[in-house]
Amino acid sequence: MNPFDYSKAVTDFWTAQGQALVKAQEQAGQALAQGMKAVTSGQFPMIPNIPTDLSGGAADLANAGKSMMELWSAATAACSKLATSIPGTAGVDSVVEATFRKIVDPRSWMAGTGELDDVLGRMAEGPRFADLWEAERRYAGVLHAWMNLRRRHLEHNAVVLQAWLQAARRFSEQIAERSGAHANGIDAKAALALWTESANQELLETQRSEPFLQTQAAMIRATTALRMAQQELVEHFGKQYGFPTRTELDDVHRTVTELRRELRAMRRERREVAPAPAAPANGRQTAQSSRRTAPRKKGPQT
Amino acid sequence: MTQTGPSPVTALSEAAKVGTKMLTGSQLLNSLRDADVQIATTAKDLVWTQDKVSLFHYRPLVEKRVHVPVLICYGLVGRWTMTDLQEDRSLVRNLLNLGLDLYVVDWGNPSRADRYLTLDDYILGYLDCVVTEISRRAGVPKINVLGVCEGGVFATAFTALEPDRVNTLILTITPIDFHADTVDNRLGHGFINIWTRSLSGEDIDRLIDANGNLPGEFLGAIFNQMSPVRSLLKYNLDLLEIADDEQRLLNWLRMEKWIADRPDHPGEAAKQWMKDLYQQNKLVRNEWELDGRRIDLRNIRMPVLNVYAKDDHIIPPATSRALGPMVGTTDYTELALPGGHVGVFVGGRSQALFAPAVSSFVEQHDRTPD
Repeated sequence: MNPFDYSKAVTDFWTAQGQALVKAQEQAGQALAQGMKAVTSGQFPMIPNIPTDLSGGAADLANAGKSMMELWSAATAACSKLATSIPGTAGVDSVVEATFRKIVDPRSWMAGTGELDDVLGRMAEGPRFADLWEAERRYAGVLHAWMNLRRRHLEHNAVVLQAWLQAARRFSEQIAERSGAHANGIDAKAALALWTESANQELLETQRSEPFLQTQAAMIRATTALRMAQQELVEHFGKQYGFPTRTELDDVHRTVTELRRELRAMRRERREVAPAPAAPANGRQTAQSSRRTAPRKKGPQT
Repeated sequence: MTQTGPSPVTALSEAAKVGTKMLTGSQLLNSLRDADVQIATTAKDLVWTQDKVSLFHYRPLVEKRVHVPVLICYGLVGRWTMTDLQEDRSLVRNLLNLGLDLYVVDWGNPSRADRYLTLDDYILGYLDCVVTEISRRAGVPKINVLGVCEGGVFATAFTALEPDRVNTLILTITPIDFHADTVDNRLGHGFINIWTRSLSGEDIDRLIDANGNLPGEFLGAIFNQMSPVRSLLKYNLDLLEIADDEQRLLNWLRMEKWIADRPDHPGEAAKQWMKDLYQQNKLVRNEWELDGRRIDLRNIRMPVLNVYAKDDHIIPPATSRALGPMVGTTDYTELALPGGHVGVFVGGRSQALFAPAVSSFVEQHDRTPD
């Protein structure tokens, strides 16, 4: 990523922080009201049960979506509670506070850990050819692969979101302990540090777990299946209209690679039969120039 | 929960400070252009090319103190520019200042057309040619090879297959036993090892076949998974912390530039890297073959310096240190540096130790041309 792409995002972020300063009292009031509502409605939001074996338990996309929605509701409720965990402040702490509020928002959780999902999605989805509707079988294959990918995506995100919820629960317990020990509560910086530590620990543990690894592997398999289904569809039309296909280009590239390999081997054999005299040289020497000069003089064999 | 806020005066004062910092940072970011953020600036000459591979020879900064040159061999994941990130954080510059004769090989930017290149091609094809060219230019039969990470595996394999052409082998943050991440089993360390083992060989084949190469963007996403929460803070709090300090901001941007330069890994080579090594661990078992030749680590009979980072979460120390008992020489030295995978090259404490150790090692084993 070009570092200068960040500048707009950063400027936007800082602008938002400036607005947050102006609205600090209003937000604090809202946050307090939401927090009171969450607290008075019961304990810390419960995490819904999800199947331990997601790859086998989630029978279809709808089920995966339902599980995800339940988790999402819990996450949103958790966010409301977390957001009231620190006092409203100004200055440097207000930025920390705003960042804290932002990263306890479930939307940022998934954004922060969904990079691979996004990359896989872009790798798989590629261009769309909605006008090529005739090839029904191939289209059905693509659609099936796409639906399967969405399902695997949801299943994996459910595992990740569950980890975030566990982190939120751990954080909530720790902050309650610390707040009890300090009469003035915990400031924004300390809360952010605690949240970072809690969330990192939970996510790293989750990444080593079988559900995470299994669902991510399933997502990768679904991605490649979709990519291949798309390629099959496109190649079908490519052949009909005489366009070069990916497979044909791959054949050419394979051939070129093999020819270069043979050329290198021949040069090496020649070098070993008649080793070039070692002599310090200066200036630029390229394989291309070696090829030109090789028949006329003994020199570097590349 | 009892909570208190700042006094109005304190709040206004702090708000003003942050506002100033943001404003200065915004102006600074807007004023900087890509050309202002340069990496790998140490002077060098292109001395050889083949296909997309280039060999550069660094211009000396002081009088040379050794006869046998050193080749820096990075891998296909990331780029060698990390070794010369900026003037005051440069392994290259430090080695040149200690009088070494230095070369670096750049593998270029592999495209879909390069998907059939194998590790055999890189190690026994291109690297072989590069070593030949350096030997010819220096008038020496053997050179010193300094391999980094995947490039360290290239250097190890080449050395084991062509021991008569390598004077010393210097490895940096190089995996040898790809399953030794389980030795220390530190949380957050060795995730790539775990992740790769969670896939089947068929998964990897299909991933590569579907995409041609292993996209650099994909690799970047895997690396980012290793520090999930830091990624959320990187472009807000971390950046704000340094935004009004031009020097620190430029340092940060240089690192970002290096991170962004992540070439695609040629497909067939990626299959070998992930299946033969990460999954089947063939190197440390002396079972890995290139061009039909089996790599036996006992053939590494020349002096070896093995440098690893104590807190390397990408290449856990145990995966590097596994080389010691495997090589066929008693002249084997390990150097444990403070910091992590990248900190070896840019960390202050590491820099003070790294280049002097390499220079001393090379000088100790230097030899005059035949």
